[in-house]
Amino acid sequence: MRVDLEDLLFSRGPFSLRGSGTFEEGVHLVSGPVGSGKSTLALLLAKLLLPESGAVRQHNVSSALLLLQFPEHQITCPTVAEEIRSWGLAPEDVLAQADLLRRGDDDPFHLSRGELKRLVLACTLMRNPDLLMLDEPFSSLDCTAKRKACRMIEERKEGITIIFSHERAVLPRVDALWEMEAGSLTACGSVPGAIPRWRHAPPYLRYALDEGARPENIRLADAREALCRIRG
Amino acid sequence: MIRITGLRHRLLDIPDLTVGARHIAVIGPNGSGKTTLLTVCSGIEEPEAGSVRLLDRPPSAVKVGWVGEFPDRTLLFSRVYDEIASTPRFRHRPCRETDELVRAAARTVGIPHLLDAKVSALSGGEKALVALAAACAGDPEVLVLDEADSHLDGVTAERVGRVVQEATAAHVLWCTQSMDTAARADYLLFMESGAVRHHGTPEEVFARLEETCFYPTMWRVRR
Repeated sequence: MRVDLEDLLFSRGPFSLRGSGTFEEGVHLVSGPVGSGKSTLALLLAKLLLPESGAVRQHNVSSALLLLQFPEHQITCPTVAEEIRSWGLAPEDVLAQADLLRRGDDDPFHLSRGELKRLVLACTLMRNPDLLMLDEPFSSLDCTAKRKACRMIEERKEGITIIFSHERAVLPRVDALWEMEAGSLTACGSVPGAIPRWRHAPPYLRYALDEGARPENIRLADAREALCRIRG
Repeated sequence: MIRITGLRHRLLDIPDLTVGARHIAVIGPNGSGKTTLLTVCSGIEEPEAGSVRLLDRPPSAVKVGWVGEFPDRTLLFSRVYDEIASTPRFRHRPCRETDELVRAAARTVGIPHLLDAKVSALSGGEKALVALAAACAGDPEVLVLDEADSHLDGVTAERVGRVVQEATAAHVLWCTQSMDTAARADYLLFMESGAVRHHGTPEEVFARLEETCFYPTMWRVRR
């Protein structure tokens, strides 16, 4: 299973996006500043936008899902339970996973923003598609919910998971790092080798690197362990 | 000075709280009442019971700049310029003054290049910056930001932090899920189930949260 980007080119007004590379099975993190094209790349990968030239080629990918940055854009039903059924999932399972027990009859728009994000995120993860694209999955969540989302992402045994995020505190264990800047996608490579050249490393990871530590992965726990190894 | 007395509103229950600090960060889990507190403090909602006073006045008598988390819900106009201009225009400021305010606010926030852009073509983070510029264009006495940083990358979040720091507002009330950002505030309110569970300087409040994930990542690695 893999997704190839072949000389992808997409433009809108003065903005243009370019990218090439291969997303293999595992967890990929695409980082980049606001407006750099992360969400546009997500839409291109999901084939919701078509490139001007080049192509997105999916190999042996039989299902794909994109979690949109703003969860309200993904809601189509008047109650939480119906919304969950519209994803082809059982309400009780998703409500438990999203910590929304007894909220099944509520209007999704009466949930708080964090709750709405948890709902859509749980639906997307529980559908367990071959290709899972998550656009800013951690925004609006508190640190407890972010940790739970990371665990669910890490527990995916197979498939390609691509996370588009600028999260700076709670991140999952990942296999590869990518950077988006001014519309151009760069592969940093696989972890841990890519970590020192990852320009968007969050402050705690940057600090560990500057101290001379070599974290095994990008989580806060990895940075602390690496610091312990050099500090003794 | 922000003074809250006998406040009960939806899940909020805050008997008595007085904060004199300028830059106040509101933190806590999802659903703990942070947004509700901000809406009451900015006069968007009237409390069911009790009172909130900003600068010794009711919030409705104070110029409040509001930046919400979901900019799509508050952005009214299709062009960035018109969105930022809406603040002075709603106050019937003359055209030339409006133009100056718009350009100054766009410069401060770092988006002069977006003035002619369509709001619908902006990224989520850029929309948050437009909402911030619109809030600043009114020269607010109190600036309220409801998780406005949740769609921003590190560099842009720093820029917002600087704008907020340099704003002339007497108070900045900022709700955030970034504990590293909150650590730079003058005063913290940690909310849980509608109540202010801890309040004080970042050192005081985070000392109570050391065993939770509500603790700045930089404080953890620096120890």
